[in-house]
Amino acid sequence: MSRSIQYTASPLLTSRTPVWRSKFVVGAIALGFVGLGARAAYIQVVHNEFFQRQGEVRYSRTLELPANRGRILDRNGLILASSVPATSIFAIPEVANLDAAEEAQLAKLLGMPQADLAKRLAADDKGFVWLKRQMDPEAAKKIAALQLKGIDQRTEYRRIYPEGEAAAHVVGFTNVEDKGQEGIELLFNSTLLGRAGSRQVIKDRLGRAVEEVGESVAPVAGRDLQLSIDTKVQFFAYQKLRDAVLSNRAQAGSIVVLDANTGEVLALANYPSYNPEKRVNLSGAQLRNRALTDTFEPGSVMKPFTIGLALETGRVKTSTVIDTSPGSVTITGATIRDSHPHGALTVEQVIQLSSNVGTTKIAMQMPASEMWETFSGAGFGQKPQVEFPGAVSGRLRPAKTWRPIEQATASYGYGLSASLFQMVRSYTAFSHDGQVIRATLLKNSEPAVGVPVFSADTAAKVRKMLQMAAGPGGTGPKAQTAGYSVGGKSGTAYKQVGKGYGNDSNRKYRSFFVGMAPIDRPRIIVGVMLDEPGAGKHFGGEVAAPVFSEAVQQTLRVMGVQPDIAIQPQIVAHAVQESF
Amino acid sequence: MTRLNILLALAALGSAMYLVGVQYESRRLFTELEKAQREARRLGTELERLQVDKRSQATPARVERVAQEKLQMRQVTPGITTYLGLGEAGPAKP
Repeated sequence: MSRSIQYTASPLLTSRTPVWRSKFVVGAIALGFVGLGARAAYIQVVHNEFFQRQGEVRYSRTLELPANRGRILDRNGLILASSVPATSIFAIPEVANLDAAEEAQLAKLLGMPQADLAKRLAADDKGFVWLKRQMDPEAAKKIAALQLKGIDQRTEYRRIYPEGEAAAHVVGFTNVEDKGQEGIELLFNSTLLGRAGSRQVIKDRLGRAVEEVGESVAPVAGRDLQLSIDTKVQFFAYQKLRDAVLSNRAQAGSIVVLDANTGEVLALANYPSYNPEKRVNLSGAQLRNRALTDTFEPGSVMKPFTIGLALETGRVKTSTVIDTSPGSVTITGATIRDSHPHGALTVEQVIQLSSNVGTTKIAMQMPASEMWETFSGAGFGQKPQVEFPGAVSGRLRPAKTWRPIEQATASYGYGLSASLFQMVRSYTAFSHDGQVIRATLLKNSEPAVGVPVFSADTAAKVRKMLQMAAGPGGTGPKAQTAGYSVGGKSGTAYKQVGKGYGNDSNRKYRSFFVGMAPIDRPRIIVGVMLDEPGAGKHFGGEVAAPVFSEAVQQTLRVMGVQPDIAIQPQIVAHAVQESF
Repeated sequence: MTRLNILLALAALGSAMYLVGVQYESRRLFTELEKAQREARRLGTELERLQVDKRSQATPARVERVAQEKLQMRQVTPGITTYLGLGEAGPAKP
């Protein structure tokens, strides 16, 4: 074997190449391939994240799967709040270069002045600016059809409240970010809120998803929430309250309707109210849920508790006679008066005629601690049973700090405070066989078990007194309603003006009425409060009782409760009897 | 030996073509599924919207207004109601 390779036969071209050279080239090329192979293995097997990520960035997209916010339903499954898609329009000012005509067109579709739009688009330092949020999808389609550069849209959800202002204070509302701001929307925000899901897909050239990659997270829709509210009762309550506030020229008013068996809130309304869908220039007065947040001295509404305690402990009987003449009584130097002197009254009549003197005389036979226990057992001064944003507990000072005059005033409802809601709930002590039950805003058809404050017998006796108070010769005969027996107590509280209760010229009142119907087996408890009635009348029996009467009438009708007292039928049969 | 190699090469080629076909088909079906799901979602939200619409057309406020203004109806009172009960008459049971 020669030491070289001969590449040609021509002797001219003969050059002697040593064999090691070709071997060296082969070796070098082989090394090159080994290098490439190693690199390929490194990229594809060992260190593959970088290119995989780069690839995904180019063709795979993460899609967000929106989760619907849960609906809020009334006790019959009617919608009180629901989310519907709405389109929000945004602009990228750096990209958007609209001429005047385009701008005018867009401004018209957005429903905003052209100058405003121009100003927003001129904000060049911002990469992103909302033009209009949550607009009607139809109008948004027209904007999309203009195909303006730098103007884009995105689908969001808008909350719809079909009941509008009638249920505004209960349901509350959400902000544009779908977060609850008030009422149930705020309280149960986490329950209602869904969890958005996501998934990764590969998109093709045309933007269609062609394959799912990676793990997908399914969206969790928000839970629907069923309230105890009955929309019909709620509406009637709101309507009657509004009419009464307007006709009495009052500042405001509240109404609460409670199911006496289950403690469910059938209606809770305040006036002034607001439309939760159009929340512009809302004032604090409109937003305020007075039934739960405003506390005031319950006045005569407290008297049944004082009398109930005296009956329960056997200190008096319903027929015991209390001498209230001369219409005033002096306790440690302070004088308590009745508006009219009544003379000798039975215990029943003390409630019927709402005698401060009679109540005081009965209260002074009892230790302050027992009164305190009864009052706080009924929920006064206690944390409100219903969790609601802003619900207050009112004030009831410890019995140890009561001076005799304070015990006397507390017996007829002064020197302590409570919200209308607390008062209504406390009356379950009389409607529910002496038990104070838990009030709830969520549907619950089980009869509630409560905390006993009185015996069933005492509760029945007090109910009879409440019926007398709401009957002829009582303080609230206007509470009577056709077909149903009612019982309740009216109250008129002086509002504090400066440091006292004002004088005759500038006195301000709060008129209220709390009662129940039908009186033998109460189904509902209704409380009505009007703040500063200004049309001449201010007694609870005159201002609030008529609202109570109408609310009871409509509520019991809606609930299908048969009238328990005889009514004069007004049905006139003209037609020949139809046969079925 | 050569014949077997050619046969295997053809089989590999056929399988590859089939794979491409299946891949294409699966992507096409996925797109279609996607479209159908999008439509389902759209119909779902449409249903939601219509339910809300229906509800707002039937709120007590509107019903009462229409009943009073258009149909000249009036509020029901116990005076103009005949109550029928099953069994013994008396107050309705809760």
